[in-house]
Amino acid sequence: MEKQLEDLKAIREMMEKSSKFLSLSGLSGVMAGITAIAGASVAYFYILGQSRAVAVPMLLIDAFLTLVISIGFGILFSARKAKKRKLKLINSVTLKIAYNLAIPLATGGILSIIMIYRGQIELVAAITLIFYGLGLINASKYTLDEIHYLGITEIILGIGAALFLYHGIIFWTIGFGLCHIIYGSIMYKKYDLK
Amino acid sequence: MANIIANLNKAFDSRIRLGIMSILMVNDSVDFNTMKELLELTDGNLASHIKALEGLEYIQSNKQFIGRKPNTKYLITELGRQSFQEHLNALENLIR
Repeated sequence: MEKQLEDLKAIREMMEKSSKFLSLSGLSGVMAGITAIAGASVAYFYILGQSRAVAVPMLLIDAFLTLVISIGFGILFSARKAKKRKLKLINSVTLKIAYNLAIPLATGGILSIIMIYRGQIELVAAITLIFYGLGLINASKYTLDEIHYLGITEIILGIGAALFLYHGIIFWTIGFGLCHIIYGSIMYKKYDLK
Repeated sequence: MANIIANLNKAFDSRIRLGIMSILMVNDSVDFNTMKELLELTDGNLASHIKALEGLEYIQSNKQFIGRKPNTKYLITELGRQSFQEHLNALENLIR
């Protein structure tokens, strides 16, 4: 009896360990959210009032820095958690996550840049939210379930941003800022504090 | 009781083989090194268990080259999937 129970446990563990990356840290989400709010504040208070010629390159730099810093925090905290659990950060599963996330993300990014140069800056909040949400849903089958629901939340906010075109930045701040902090805290409480 | 135990597959008695089969049940294909890391085994130890499972035709290998380095990927066969599923069912029946 004991052996059978242990066997079943080992099977379940190995299936999960080999197909899912569970070292995603909730703190990554919280830090990404804070970074996003900082990035959005810079855009709102300093950049959007400027003339178009100045605003466009500054907005791109702001967005780029926000993205790099959030991803940096994400990798940092997850690497720490993976190390604690004696797992490698880069393995076949995390590469699958990166690939599945990158395709919608890059598509949305390119589309956003095209929109900015065509003078349709208003659409960028909706595009980034929707494509980010699609990326999360796409990658979520290889990681924690919460990511799937975060993805759906981002898509809904993206559609909201498209409906209320001139309040895009509010939806963007809720989606990339608040939602990350909320989901990050839930995940931190549920998985990291164990 | 004897009847239920008879449904357990002796090939999966070892924890390592159980691990190999579990990994291949949920992944399309897995290479040797990934498997080695997941199961925390040495080359020789893993190779002998893989050979045994290949002999039973529960798994099959697919040799490829990445540049000049050989890279062997393993997949579960239909027979392997069926046998493992039966073993799983037998385990679950036993603890019920």
